[in-house]
Amino acid sequence: MKWVVLGLAAAGALGAAVVLGPAAIPFAELGTSPIVRDLRLPRALLAFLVGGALATAGTGLQGLLRNPLADPFLLGLSGGAGLGAVLAIALGWGGPWGLPVAAFAGAVGAMVLVYRLGLVGGGALDPRTMLLAGVAVGAFAAAVTTAIVSLAEASQLRNAFLWLWGGLSGASWQTLAVLAAYVPVPLAVLAAAARPLDLLALGEEPARYLGADVERVKRRVYLAASLLTAAAVAVSGVIGFVGLLVPHLARLVWGHRHRALLPAAFLGGGTLLTLADTLARTVVAPRELPVGIVTALVGVPVFALLLRRWGAP
Amino acid sequence: MILDVRDVTFRYPGAARDALAGVSLALDAGDFVAVLGPNGSGKTTLLRIALGAVRPATGEARVAGRPAHVWGPQELARAVGVVPQREESAFPLRVRDAVLLGRYPHLSPWAPARAADYAAVERALSACDALPLADRWLATLSGGEHQRVRLARALAQEPRLLVLDEPTASLDLRHEMELFERARLLAAPAGLAVLVITHHVNLATRFADRVLLLHDGRAAAQGRPGDVLTRDTVERVFDWPVAIERFDGAPQIVPLRRPQEAR
Amino acid sequence: MRPGNSRFVAGLALLAACGTGAPGRPGALAVTDDAGRRVTLAAPAARVVSLAPSLTELLFALGAGPQVVGRTTWCRYPPAAAAVADVGDGLNPNLEAVAARRPDLVLLYHSPLNETAAAQLARLGIAAVLLRQDRHADVARHARLLGVLTGHAAAGDSIGRVLDSVVARPTPPAGVRVAFVVWDAPPTVIGAGSYLDELVTLAGGANVFHDLRPASATVSLETIADRDPGVIAILADSGAVVPPVWARRPEWRAVRAVRAGRFLVLPADLFGRPSPRAPEAVAELRRLLAREATP
Repeated sequence: MKWVVLGLAAAGALGAAVVLGPAAIPFAELGTSPIVRDLRLPRALLAFLVGGALATAGTGLQGLLRNPLADPFLLGLSGGAGLGAVLAIALGWGGPWGLPVAAFAGAVGAMVLVYRLGLVGGGALDPRTMLLAGVAVGAFAAAVTTAIVSLAEASQLRNAFLWLWGGLSGASWQTLAVLAAYVPVPLAVLAAAARPLDLLALGEEPARYLGADVERVKRRVYLAASLLTAAAVAVSGVIGFVGLLVPHLARLVWGHRHRALLPAAFLGGGTLLTLADTLARTVVAPRELPVGIVTALVGVPVFALLLRRWGAP
Repeated sequence: MILDVRDVTFRYPGAARDALAGVSLALDAGDFVAVLGPNGSGKTTLLRIALGAVRPATGEARVAGRPAHVWGPQELARAVGVVPQREESAFPLRVRDAVLLGRYPHLSPWAPARAADYAAVERALSACDALPLADRWLATLSGGEHQRVRLARALAQEPRLLVLDEPTASLDLRHEMELFERARLLAAPAGLAVLVITHHVNLATRFADRVLLLHDGRAAAQGRPGDVLTRDTVERVFDWPVAIERFDGAPQIVPLRRPQEAR
Repeated sequence: MRPGNSRFVAGLALLAACGTGAPGRPGALAVTDDAGRRVTLAAPAARVVSLAPSLTELLFALGAGPQVVGRTTWCRYPPAAAAVADVGDGLNPNLEAVAARRPDLVLLYHSPLNETAAAQLARLGIAAVLLRQDRHADVARHARLLGVLTGHAAAGDSIGRVLDSVVARPTPPAGVRVAFVVWDAPPTVIGAGSYLDELVTLAGGANVFHDLRPASATVSLETIADRDPGVIAILADSGAVVPPVWARRPEWRAVRAVRAGRFLVLPADLFGRPSPRAPEAVAELRRLLAREATP
């Protein structure tokens, strides 16, 4: 059954992430190795959580915007995070957690801005307006970021872009704990919106006639998805592709109903990112690839395969 | 009384005139009522007020005895099933899943669908003669089949009032007739009240117990089709010369051609 | 007096000995720059604009300081360079400002963008040379090249010889194991392609990432922890915090040297780029490493 396969894939991905790595650690020593305990294990779990969060957020946003091309970073969050990160570096903010906190704050700032811009007369969120606002906010933030980088002393700020390209190098038990405490609430909000999201796919008017509190659902889904994305960016930079593709992969197998789709997307996204991170760490060892590149390289063939097998009607 | 709209008046913000002025409409179980009128006569506004989506400036709308605006969205969907005019699905759906959406008003957010829900879906599909379509993808259906599925979905809600908003808009003759026949069948035995908003005056007169003809936001005629649809009224409302013929006891509007200019 | 200054004085003396104006050689001065372009000057350049800090430093080291009429905003060494007119950025140069200085030679950092700039300068009739210094051998070569172009061939040769001998010195046995961390997230270290790796080797240390070919590369944190360097070297401007901010992050504590606080802070002005002061840099690094070796 589908869920069993997915569960096994998830377990397999986590296992591989712990067993494999650029540091050659004999199987017998895995349990006692400090590298496994302090670096690989939290990193594997963090990759799973981030991948799951991004995929779930992407699913929610695709339902909210009724657009299969929607992706968590479409609404300006990556631009906001990047601007926050660059400002943190340029102004020397906040110590070891300065970068993640600033990136989170930047992403949330973009979220609020897009929300306000997306409200058309009478307090209703309009998906098309939100899309435009998201692109505009993202572009603006990116422009300001580039301006800061080009005017300031190059080296430090160029490195900010390296961070933004995405990576799980900042994984530790502490980071994992913070994310694990934070993530359940927005996930629960999305889960509760599963049925209304199904209805929303018909259009706002039909959804209303079928009992959905459309405005409330839109607000909640947007905020929950954005907060998940903001946390993911703060922890691991901008990892593209997971939030866009995993929902489609999940739909090929589980169909459109969000009650199954959301958990499937979570597990699928977690599996994909964990696998991608393992590959990123091992393929060109001792060097490491940006994980966003690997998610694309892994995700596209898997998608093509599933598309041929199950087909899109 | 399942729907009781009394003397409502409403004007959209910034509009020059009222969208509705002093209109009333009442339905009991088993009634089949048609709301007619040219574009802009206030049909859609009447529906919105009836379902509590907007509040009238004067008058009130009650559903099953309670003011329309106090109904929560989910509980209202358990009482009223609407087949909307426009709809699209962003993602592909199978027919059975589409009709299952009609059970959502009965489902709590966390509990799964129960056997009773699936049974309701089967019944609804059967009542609309859509069982053979059950496993097909919506996108592969014809216009008429699509309409049957949407009707089944509304029926799956197990409502007390069924509202059809311009249901024959893109249907051919056979499917138009089938739809009205089916709606008529549903009204009588189940005690379901049916409200049809339509352009199609001639079909409405043959099937509806009562009609409400709107003109510029006012009720130009209200009552049994045979009684209230006179030539003068119809010509005034539709701004075109007509003749009224009788068929099957129902008035049928026949638009006349403009008199040819003598040369 | 610092070694650099004494060389500077020696250069001046050499210049004085040669007299002001063009020294001996008749005929064109021809060189090939790092982009493979052949550049010819009829006479040694009298007005030079330098668009790279390393090249500005080299010009002053050659004794060509008085011939420098333009520098970038980032050219801060030697201090005498501050007196020269600032023409803006070097990576994306403002050609109008450069041309306004009426140079007969412009030195550019070799990059694709600057190849275009060089072509534009050529159209204005200004000779442009594209140079890039990744390793000390490059500095030696450029010292000779610029020596020829500015009429300080002897000084250029002298500097080149000093640098060649520094680089060719027999390598002392590897002592302290070093990892050079350039950035923390993602962790970026120096590899064999960098002049810093050269310096570490010359100073008797061993770069644990010497097996990486590029000048710098991103590695997994677990690799750094696994290779267990004795000390982490970082480049820092004055006023830098030791240990660095990122050392307090929990995941970096998996690296023993970070846990123990074993950091080597290298001043950016001496170690920030390959320069004629390489012997000084090697000596300083050797001294710092020796301090680490003794507990």
